[in-house]
Amino acid sequence: MPDIEIRNLTKVYEESGNRIVAVDDVDLTIEDDEFVTLVGPSGCGKTTTLRCVAGLNKPTSGTITFGDRDVTEKPVQERNIALLFQDIALYPHMSVLENMAYGLKISGFSREERVARVEEAAELLQITDQLEKMPADLSGGQQQRVALGRSLVRDPEVFLFDEPMSDLDAKLKAELRPVIEKVTDEIGCPTLYVTHDQEEAMTMSDRVAVINDGKLEQVAPPKEIYDEPESQFVSQFIGQPSTQFFDGNVRAVNGTAELAVGSYDYEFARDGLEGWAGDDVRVGLRPQYIRVNDDPAAGIPATHLLDEPLGDATHSFFDTEFGEIVVVTDPDFEGNGEQYGLVFQDEYIQLFDADSGVRIA
Amino acid sequence: MSQSEPPGGVFGLSYDGETRVIEALKLISTAIIVLVGAWPIYWMTQLAFTEYEAVEDSVTAFPTPDIFTLGNFTVLTQPEMYTYMFNTVVVAIGTIVTVVLVSLLAGYGLARLEFPQKENFARILLVGYLFSPIVIGIPLYQIWQNIGLLGTRFGLIIALSAISMPFAVWLMWKYIMTIPEAHEEAAWVDGASRWRGFRDVIIPQCRPAIIAAALFAFALAWNDFTFAQILLPQTDTTTFAPGILRAMGQAQFLPDAYLMAISLAMTLPPLLFAYFMQSYLLKGFQVRAL
Repeated sequence: MPDIEIRNLTKVYEESGNRIVAVDDVDLTIEDDEFVTLVGPSGCGKTTTLRCVAGLNKPTSGTITFGDRDVTEKPVQERNIALLFQDIALYPHMSVLENMAYGLKISGFSREERVARVEEAAELLQITDQLEKMPADLSGGQQQRVALGRSLVRDPEVFLFDEPMSDLDAKLKAELRPVIEKVTDEIGCPTLYVTHDQEEAMTMSDRVAVINDGKLEQVAPPKEIYDEPESQFVSQFIGQPSTQFFDGNVRAVNGTAELAVGSYDYEFARDGLEGWAGDDVRVGLRPQYIRVNDDPAAGIPATHLLDEPLGDATHSFFDTEFGEIVVVTDPDFEGNGEQYGLVFQDEYIQLFDADSGVRIA
Repeated sequence: MSQSEPPGGVFGLSYDGETRVIEALKLISTAIIVLVGAWPIYWMTQLAFTEYEAVEDSVTAFPTPDIFTLGNFTVLTQPEMYTYMFNTVVVAIGTIVTVVLVSLLAGYGLARLEFPQKENFARILLVGYLFSPIVIGIPLYQIWQNIGLLGTRFGLIIALSAISMPFAVWLMWKYIMTIPEAHEEAAWVDGASRWRGFRDVIIPQCRPAIIAAALFAFALAWNDFTFAQILLPQTDTTTFAPGILRAMGQAQFLPDAYLMAISLAMTLPPLLFAYFMQSYLLKGFQVRAL
């Protein structure tokens, strides 16, 4: 089985004289059997990238190869891919069985073989009793299973997903995630999954590729993306509630760095800050690594705004000189609108270049 | 509105009184519409079933048993009537097939392909509606005469298709636009060619629009008089509507009751066609609920 290699992929749209760069020089390799998620905000170019891989859009420049086969100029019909669409796109005038068998019919399989393969796939997806129904009679989750089955029976070379679960509710998503993983394991081909939902990205992927404004920001396994973001954007985009940011200044660097955040100085040991003395930085910290102290003088002064109790933890909102800050607090915490001091857990501090957003330390 | 104002609506009546007046007006207006629409059909029907001598002698309102007859319909067995009907059916079917095929392809092209001046092309299409058949008919007569289409059913089919086309193409264009592009893309991913995807995925979903376009083309072709009169000058190839007129002019013996029998026979097919297709027709004009 082949891998997917995307080299220098660029896609430019010309719209009434304006050049819009949707995808900007993207390089990405997806190994055989690997599940890579392309995640980013809406309009970042992730769907365009996927459509170029699928052959539905033609790249402006760059190449796409499946194994040793250059498919850049090949039409979608000749790429032997499977693609799950955002709006599911089952054929409404065909039964579930016909929907799943359509690709096999085009490839010229006999009727017996088509039915046999569809039934096999239906069993894996637990939709055997739905085969005679029409797509409109199925629930959203079942429709998505049928769409998965349509791909499964064809045994594609490459599996692509275009935000397939964005119209489903959170519970259904959680239910379908293992099904998708089961199907992709069963087929065992390189998988590119596009989503704006970082939870989907984190839970299903072997590697996560974060894309912003047409450029890849970072490609790494989910845990690494979360723990060691390479840019302010990645840190902010991955994780819920997202990383909180403060304006800071690196005071002095001699072994330990001294960091000023507002009027508060933090001293902590960190390599890689040489040469940054006197420079402005962005200080990022995940909300669970901020402590709330009853004494406003103990940290960054903050006025409590409200609590969102979730049962296992509480998200507390504070107003500070850096804007609204979210902190994950104890489930029993009740702020009551009083004054507090926010204290950082030094070892989890992430520092970013104030201008470029690139990770410093 | 304050409490002190007298109750009342448009006519200064109490609300109850106003409701009664409006109900009465609704009934009256419905009655007028039914009368205007249904009376001619009733009159034609009753005359068709009445003995022709009785029709000639006095005004009859209902074919009572003593004057009831089916004998008027024997006029349909005359050879030229048979020819007219056959021609009308051929022209109607030919027009339907042409209109449906061309509008499907044109509608798909407008909905899915990009080409220069697309919007203007569609607008110009509608300009075709501004000309009545008589205006186009005379030039067409000369052109058809030059290229040998004059007096052929094929020539009439082309002319009738041309005037049905603007509506059919617009209908198909707007209808195909409501079908998500992802349906076709899914077919391509499954390995289908563009043509195969159009055939397997788009056309089956267009069924309501196809029926609406077919019905429209049928009504136009079946009831056409002007084009047929101009473009089919010989009696043996003409269709029904000009055929009757010629029969009236030429025959020494053609009583009103016979004419009505012929008219009824030619009115029934479109009535039945429209009645059984109306549910599809409504769907054709609806934007699909997704």
